Amino acid sequence: MRVKLKAGPEERKFIQRIEELSGENVYACYQCGRCSAGCPMAPEMDLLPNQIIRLVQMGMQEEVLRSKTLFLCASCFTCQSRCPKGIDLARVMEAVRHILDPKGKDAFGPDEISPELARELPQQVMVSIFRKFAK
Amino acid sequence: MTAKTTSKTKDKRIGLFVCHCGINIASIVDVEKVAEVMKDYPGVNFSTDYVYMCSDPGQQMIIDTIKKKHLDGIIVAACSPTLHEKTFQEAARLAGLNPYQIEIANIREQDSWVHTDKAKATKKAIKIVKSHVAKALQNENLEPIKVDVTKRALVIGGGISGLQAALDIADHGYEVILVEKNPSIGGKMIQLSETFPTLDCSQCILTPKMVEVSRHPRIKLLTYHEVDSVSGFVGNFKVRIRKKPRYVDETLCNLCGECEKVCPQIVPDEFNMGLSFRKAIYMPFPQAIPGTYTLDAEHCLGLNPVRCGKCKDVCQKKAIDYDMKETIIEEEVGAIVVATGYDLYTMQALGEYGGEKYEDVVNGLEFERILSASGPTGGAVRRPSDGKVPKSIVFVQCSGSRDTEKHNPYCSKICCMYTAKHAMLYKHRVPDGQATVFYIDVRTGGKGFDEFYQRAVEEDKILYIRGKVSKIFKEGDKLIVWGVDTLTGKKVEVEADMVVLAMAMVKADGVMDLLRKLKVSTDIHGFLAEAHPKLRPVESLSAGFYLAGCAHGPKDIPEAVAQASAAAAKVGDLFAQKELVHEPTVVPVNDELCSGCGICIAVCPYGARSLDPERGVAVVNEILCEGCGACAAACPSGAAQQRNQTDNQIFSMLTAMLRE
Amino acid sequence: MKLHYYPGCTLKEKATALDISTREAMKRLDIELVEPEGWTCCGAEYPLTEEKIVGLAAPIRVLRQVREEGGDVVVTTCSFCYAVLKRANKAIQEDPLKHKRINAYLRDDIKINERTKERTTGFDDYNGEVKVLHLLEYLRDRVGFPNVQSRLKRDLKGLPIAPYYGCRLLRPQEELGLDEPDNPHLFEEFLEAVGCRAVDYPFKQECCGSYVSVSLPAAATEASYRVLRSARMNGAKAITVTCPLCFYNMDHRQDAIKETFLDFPGLPVLFFTQLLAWALGVDKKLLGLGEHSVPADHLFSESPTTEVRS
Repeated sequence: MRVKLKAGPEERKFIQRIEELSGENVYACYQCGRCSAGCPMAPEMDLLPNQIIRLVQMGMQEEVLRSKTLFLCASCFTCQSRCPKGIDLARVMEAVRHILDPKGKDAFGPDEISPELARELPQQVMVSIFRKFAK
Repeated sequence: MTAKTTSKTKDKRIGLFVCHCGINIASIVDVEKVAEVMKDYPGVNFSTDYVYMCSDPGQQMIIDTIKKKHLDGIIVAACSPTLHEKTFQEAARLAGLNPYQIEIANIREQDSWVHTDKAKATKKAIKIVKSHVAKALQNENLEPIKVDVTKRALVIGGGISGLQAALDIADHGYEVILVEKNPSIGGKMIQLSETFPTLDCSQCILTPKMVEVSRHPRIKLLTYHEVDSVSGFVGNFKVRIRKKPRYVDETLCNLCGECEKVCPQIVPDEFNMGLSFRKAIYMPFPQAIPGTYTLDAEHCLGLNPVRCGKCKDVCQKKAIDYDMKETIIEEEVGAIVVATGYDLYTMQALGEYGGEKYEDVVNGLEFERILSASGPTGGAVRRPSDGKVPKSIVFVQCSGSRDTEKHNPYCSKICCMYTAKHAMLYKHRVPDGQATVFYIDVRTGGKGFDEFYQRAVEEDKILYIRGKVSKIFKEGDKLIVWGVDTLTGKKVEVEADMVVLAMAMVKADGVMDLLRKLKVSTDIHGFLAEAHPKLRPVESLSAGFYLAGCAHGPKDIPEAVAQASAAAAKVGDLFAQKELVHEPTVVPVNDELCSGCGICIAVCPYGARSLDPERGVAVVNEILCEGCGACAAACPSGAAQQRNQTDNQIFSMLTAMLRE
Repeated sequence: MKLHYYPGCTLKEKATALDISTREAMKRLDIELVEPEGWTCCGAEYPLTEEKIVGLAAPIRVLRQVREEGGDVVVTTCSFCYAVLKRANKAIQEDPLKHKRINAYLRDDIKINERTKERTTGFDDYNGEVKVLHLLEYLRDRVGFPNVQSRLKRDLKGLPIAPYYGCRLLRPQEELGLDEPDNPHLFEEFLEAVGCRAVDYPFKQECCGSYVSVSLPAAATEASYRVLRSARMNGAKAITVTCPLCFYNMDHRQDAIKETFLDFPGLPVLFFTQLLAWALGVDKKLLGLGEHSVPADHLFSESPTTEVRS
């Protein structure tokens, strides 16, 4: 698959928006991969955490928005605590989730929880998962 | 050292040369207009503009005009004086004009490079030039200050850089004093097993230099000594050196080793990075120079009163003397080379790698000792915890380097190469072992370096994985390494028997105390600061101090040797001069106005001023004075006036600028 | 003395063990816990984008209420609540935009006077006047571990317990400042102070799976398993947590873990305040042990391993 790498206004807008929302400088990442090396959810992800920020650096908006990785992040901040450049990748992940289509389907919404499970789950879990993964 | 006053202000004939500097100045400042306007300015006798004043024709124009128009002073309106002041001073001198009658009006860095409005920039240029005319009219002829040079050098540090610098200076024909704080010279290089890219045995290539130093007729080797204090100035330093008591007379010791056998005290051996033990009376390594035992008082059972005394009893040569005391030696030298080396970043800082917790997580120097034939395992690769031969070793590059968040932001330069070397040597000795290197980049910029790395990968089949390790911990008998392969996008876990961390190179332990005594500046990491990063890499901004080796920053052996020889050459430059010449734009004391308040003494950063107790006035050592002007600014009575930068001159400049 | 205490919504229903044991333990230390009037859920997640400012309203309101009640410190035991409250508190103090927006939002809240039932509006700006402390740091810094030790009524005889920090207690270090994420000591000091032996194991700050146990249970099952396995391998008789979600993942879901990882025999999960309460002499019935899925009763027996000192 041939990728026509563009660095035009659309790509720049996307990158700027992510930086604005997250407050992080995505260009500071030198792709060492330490975030992925320590991420507890990485084995389940289709794109590794470092690949997510790589795609943002390259302005490849569509590909990054399609990934399942965004909805596997547990916001454990292991990546942030170990990054040698001090990048808070959890914020970048949240920023990417933020620009998803607000009218789109929830990645994980209330429909996915059965009444039995709802009775069992601590409130803490439901509040956090909906705030992270639902619109 | 006195200035000669010649021309009177009124009769002075000033020449103005306004430089275009190509488009650097001329694109913003209308240089022709400046030259034109200044033609009629009082004091200005000649005014012109030219495209590149620093060029040969430009300089020739200055020389010719000075002669033709009988000029007493000139102003070159151009770039910053840090670049070409010397050029134009030399041109003036060739034309027979005192070089201190030159004024550089900076209309580039202070005007054309920082403004965009052409009209205003041109007006500003005219003001700047006018101010310099006012100053030039009051400039006096000055002669450089001359001082003798003591043609002896002090080299601090007996590692490869210090040794090389000492040899080169001594071969030039000058006397060198080499001070080393450890019992033997050799530094870190003597601890290495083999060196890249040749895999030369490190001790084999270093010991000849060590022997040469010890036998050189012009090198005074002072091991187990430390520099206590330095006073004076370039060409004229007075150094106090502290001799630490060895309690063994090195001229009598014959290395029979009987003392070591009977000593009851066991101490972790620093030469072997704590992987083995030595006695309190010891020789750091077999080829130590000087070849003598040393008694480590800190770990001896007691010398005052004597608690043990066994070593002295068995010494047939009567070389052991418990009554040795610390003594101070005073030496006079003209130049000092600082070659104090480096240390490795502490493993305690990387808690997530378990460096302090697990014995089998080691740093580069520890691994060198394991690889070394003279090391604790005789060169067999065995892991520290149980002596097992590791079947899988993981090498982690960039441990504590390239980290702007918590550790050291810089690259330690040598780790990529020595990691490849370590992995290769491991594979040579344990051919069925698995070597894995985790890297972010592989930096192999030297001669033969990339070929060396390719050899490691292609011939020795070392697996290089691009990804920075997140965590290392022990599970049972194995060390688990959490890494990632960014190239295939896979998170990986490796089970290893041993891990070698390429720890960052940092400033030598305890070096800041010494550097403060020397008053030599460092960068924020504690590495010596060079005078100019590109063009003056082996000198300090403090005159008379030269830098060599890793004390200046991470580097490999070829670079350290090159830098040491360069520093020696610079010392040679200094010593080749009959006498030293010092800028005369210093700040003398006008005795009649001085009240002896002492404020100037307190503010002087160079320690150039002192109080004459008899006359109750300040006095200045013109050689130490660097003409910074702090005292002139602080002096309440105006007794401190800088030559060719007096208060009157400054006020005249201000008046010229502010008058419309 | 009275101390403001923020339990968080989960502690009132699904993790009552944490709430009860906390109260009972603090009673033994002569501290009366007071919940801020009309407190609400803190939101569980600190908003990570610069634009989701409204997510700060709930936690700030809680803190403001503490201030209104005359408190300058609020203590919490749930890691999630701790992280949200502390980070929100910091944001209000350091980010002028957030300060302005949230205070504008909360200013016109209605105050109801409990006595007169009078309703008024208008609150002063909240500027970070209340300090947020986790109970562990409160015990270390304000009560003092030696003080706690001197009040122990039961000798836990060095029971080996694995401290589990999880994520929210330590990270991000720059905002929580509780301890070094890769080399922490606080929880270990606590365990030593109550008479246990803190077990060192490499998974004490690795994520248990968090809320992903709902959306992709397999991932969280494995994550929790690795933590429990490491704790057990290093000799722990139980693992102790500060977070209801960690408790849910490692205790309630331990059956799922055992079904997937057949080699795992199990490990009891405790809240740290249960150990504290027990060591301070609180009755076993008041520890909330009934809420556990994995039996933990055997750790709290009045038998050779422990004795009541009066």
